Amino acid sequence: MAIIEEPLALTSGEPAVAERPLGVLTRPQGGNGWRDWLSTVDHKRIGIMYGAAAMFFFVVGGSEALLIRLQLAFPEQGLLSGQLYNEIFTMHGVTMVFLFIMPLAAAFANYLIPLQIGARDVAFPRLNALSFWVWLSGALFLNSSWLVGGGGADCGWFCYSPNSGIVFSPSHGVDFYALGLLIAGIASLVSSINLIVTCLNMRAPGMTLFRMPVLTWMLLITQFLLAFALPVITVALFLLLFDRLFDSQFFDPAAGADPLLWQHLFWIFGHPEVYIIILPSFGIVSEIIPTFSRKPIFGYSFMVFSGIAIGFMGWGVWAHHMFVSGIGPISVVAFSLATMFIAVPTGVKILNWLATMWGGALRFTTAMLFATATVAMFTIGGLSGVTHALAPADTQQTDTYYIVAHFHYVIFGGGVIGLMGGCYFWWPKVFGYMLDERRGKWHFWTMLVGFNLTFGPMHVLGLQGMSRRIDTYSSGFGFEFWNLVSTIGSFIIAISVAYFIYNIWKSKREAVDRPPPGPDPWDARSLEWSIPSPAPVHNFDYVPVIESQDDWWFRKYTINDDDKVVRIADPEMVAQKGDATGVHLPSPSFWPLVLALGLPLVAYGLIFNLWLCVIGGILAAVAIYSWALEPVDDPDAHHDDSDGDGADDLPNDPALQEASRDDGGGG
Amino acid sequence: MNRPSLPAMRHALRRVRSLAVLGLVVVASGCASDAELDTLKPRSDVARQIDNLLDPVLYVAGVVMVIICGGVVWLGWRRRVKNYEDDEFPAQIHGNNTLEVAWTAIPAVIMAIIAAATVITQLAVSETEANAMTIEVDGDARTWEPKVVVVGQQWWWEYRYYFDVDVTEDWLGDPLDLPVADIVTSSQMVIPTGEEIELLVTSRDVIHSHWIPALNGKRDARPGFFSPWKLEADEPGVYFGQCTEFCGVSHSRMRMQAIAVTPDAFGEWINEQMQPAEVPADAEDYVAALRSGEPSPMGETDVASARGLAAFVDNCSSCHLVDGVNDHDYQGASTETGSAPNLTHFASRTTFAGGFFNLYNSDGTINRDDLAAWIRNPGDVKDNAADDLADGIAPRGMPTLGLSERTIADLVAYLETLGTKPGLDLIAATEVE
Repeated sequence: MAIIEEPLALTSGEPAVAERPLGVLTRPQGGNGWRDWLSTVDHKRIGIMYGAAAMFFFVVGGSEALLIRLQLAFPEQGLLSGQLYNEIFTMHGVTMVFLFIMPLAAAFANYLIPLQIGARDVAFPRLNALSFWVWLSGALFLNSSWLVGGGGADCGWFCYSPNSGIVFSPSHGVDFYALGLLIAGIASLVSSINLIVTCLNMRAPGMTLFRMPVLTWMLLITQFLLAFALPVITVALFLLLFDRLFDSQFFDPAAGADPLLWQHLFWIFGHPEVYIIILPSFGIVSEIIPTFSRKPIFGYSFMVFSGIAIGFMGWGVWAHHMFVSGIGPISVVAFSLATMFIAVPTGVKILNWLATMWGGALRFTTAMLFATATVAMFTIGGLSGVTHALAPADTQQTDTYYIVAHFHYVIFGGGVIGLMGGCYFWWPKVFGYMLDERRGKWHFWTMLVGFNLTFGPMHVLGLQGMSRRIDTYSSGFGFEFWNLVSTIGSFIIAISVAYFIYNIWKSKREAVDRPPPGPDPWDARSLEWSIPSPAPVHNFDYVPVIESQDDWWFRKYTINDDDKVVRIADPEMVAQKGDATGVHLPSPSFWPLVLALGLPLVAYGLIFNLWLCVIGGILAAVAIYSWALEPVDDPDAHHDDSDGDGADDLPNDPALQEASRDDGGGG
Repeated sequence: MNRPSLPAMRHALRRVRSLAVLGLVVVASGCASDAELDTLKPRSDVARQIDNLLDPVLYVAGVVMVIICGGVVWLGWRRRVKNYEDDEFPAQIHGNNTLEVAWTAIPAVIMAIIAAATVITQLAVSETEANAMTIEVDGDARTWEPKVVVVGQQWWWEYRYYFDVDVTEDWLGDPLDLPVADIVTSSQMVIPTGEEIELLVTSRDVIHSHWIPALNGKRDARPGFFSPWKLEADEPGVYFGQCTEFCGVSHSRMRMQAIAVTPDAFGEWINEQMQPAEVPADAEDYVAALRSGEPSPMGETDVASARGLAAFVDNCSSCHLVDGVNDHDYQGASTETGSAPNLTHFASRTTFAGGFFNLYNSDGTINRDDLAAWIRNPGDVKDNAADDLADGIAPRGMPTLGLSERTIADLVAYLETLGTKPGLDLIAATEVE
């Protein structure tokens, strides 16, 4: 498992000639100004930008949720028109799924995968930057439909045809939806390939696959799901766009099309998407619970394989979204059974978390509170999921608030709450200061109470027969009380999120008076805690050699002959110092950003004026060629040439040198 | 580790119990109301089969939830520590294969049992029985296989009844262009009790979903296709429904009712619906001229309903059909879907505009206010996509026609003559809020 450093263009022995082909193609130098953020290829900075942008869209999508809840607080309210309500609930769903949870999970994946496997960066650093900028341009493009597209998409996040067709949705909202998701999809696809290669090829010596932390495993599975799911939605979105822009008839029933085509394509993507959202959170919980139980994860290999099983089985359950669509009783039964049995590996995970806590010494930091709440809340969502798997019963439940309750318990309870725990856990590693624990606990409890008040009552509403996606409801059906409770709950969540943001700001201000957190503030187990906080730009001074699972923990502790844990070293002493100099790092580049700017121009062009496509296309083409032509490194930068002989200081192992020469160069 | 004292724990338990009781009371009070859409109050065999499948699973799920969530809380409480001391390590257990196998196998067995029950129920609710009714209409025996063609459209439901034919998908042909039916009604489906009614559900535009929770689950109405479904009511009564597939701007206002009546009453209803529309006094010559294909304008008349008939022909008949008035040259509606509710027996129904408004006040008089408001400016009282459209785009929903108040009053007077007025008890039972 060789760790392959970014190679130089020159092999040893030849003179180093600083070539500068074209001024514009010179690689920018690293630094700390805003320009350096725009050109960064550092996986940590990219992770931070993903996280910050995701939090911004969390506020956007959350505001949309509050408008929905205000409208439904009382029966027959006219706060929003029917049309505006449809746009807002559509954009709420799209924003939360594609612009909040996925990028927040991407933030963790980008930041943590290289650190957890002992790598200096991801496999293709410039592609990583491209992923972020393309995702951001898609996200901003999607939301720009509020300003220039005559409102948001009004077809629901699932955008069923023919309701998404030009006849039934004549504004540009759906075009923005399709193009925006296509652009964002490019980002996720590129990123998934990048991170898969990183996990498979960049692990430190000794870091075998089955020594990887569970989080890295879950993120790896997520990347595989993305790589296979995104092409499907891409096809579907292309068909939709051709129908809308060029009068094709893929989804026109009058021309003989079957509207189920869209549903199958959408849910073949859409169901794995659920696991794309939830598995990163499972991984985070699997890191936090062992740390604060002072025990290793219970049943590591079962945890990993149940994740893999979920990843596989997730592909065979999509039609459970279509039990009432008219797919025939045999299909219904088949998908019903497949759906039930996906509960088994999920149950294994839950029980393993409990077994990890069992007999442990549980320290309830904010992160631990969030992690344990994730286990409990996800369990509720999983159990209501079993009740939908009963296909005949689902004919009563589907498209009611019972479903809304279910998937919010899964996605918010299982996903967002876990990611929040991850924020508290890794905050000191990323930013070098701790989030205040006392305020964090307030954040936790308000969020937990608000969450349950918001989504718990929806179970009752759904069983009482309240349909989803209705912009208002009449009094007399018994919907009034629980809707009001739900609205109150949603505002408690809003307060809780605001308090989280306040906690970030306030903790940062207080950090100057507090001792720095040190490399390993939680006494944790994985490699990222063996380097200083915040993580230095080069990650590791030297590439660690891994001898076991939880390698970092075993550098601090050993188990003596009486099976007692004995401390053998102080973390400060064994941690890397982060003071290595002359570490060869990938050079920054502006071209990913330029390429990302071209794509929304093409998209605007498809909607408004094809000439814009030409401009966007030229921009993208220039960026691609410049990317290919710019030098691999800034010729003036110093790399691994610490002995000054003009050659890269490659490791002394000839095999490694050979490998590094064969490697075509990153990014 | 500090363990909580026993009295303290008892106190905590008591507090938990009182909270639980409080929670139950709140839940109960939240549920107590008419709850016409309640999915847990089945009123037919099929709905009961579904409920019988769901109920035990809900209990099992509840128990598992209490165990897991309780386990998290209990473990958290029992094993909590404030801070870590260096020598305070629990046993370092990496796993236990027996346990892993057990908690893979036990859920798998539970799921297998649930799966078996699901398959059995699924097959049972998919069964259909072939039957046929004979109904005497004006002295002629007509056979009716209890089938209703259900058509969803933005934003109302149409129910079509065909007699003396085997209503199959093949016979019906193109779902977007259905054969002329013997009875067409909208937003209210009348069915006889004790009879399994087969529905053939389709749509003329986008996907809708037909759902009468007390009688059965839902079925999507897919444009271009017929989806078979069935309904059966044990008891006479009114069963409320709601479109449950998101279908555009008035999705929430697309409602319907199944009115189950005894077979005798059903026969009466059929007879009534088979009658041609009544012609108002003073309008006989006008209608005769219409039928002969030489329409002449209506002369001056003091009869409001007669003026209303003329106004209907002038303003409404390009979309709405009244049998015997504009059927001879009815070209199909000029809406996007080519269809609008058939008004031949409009006044025999108790709701209008997609089941969203009451047609009658509780004292049995016509609900003039809502009906006039609807005719005056439909988009004002129920969102639609019928006005301010670009050239070449057909309306979806009823457009604003800019009629004078006098014309509106005349139209209301005419509409009131169309069909037999329902009884007060039906008006009360079908009342929407």
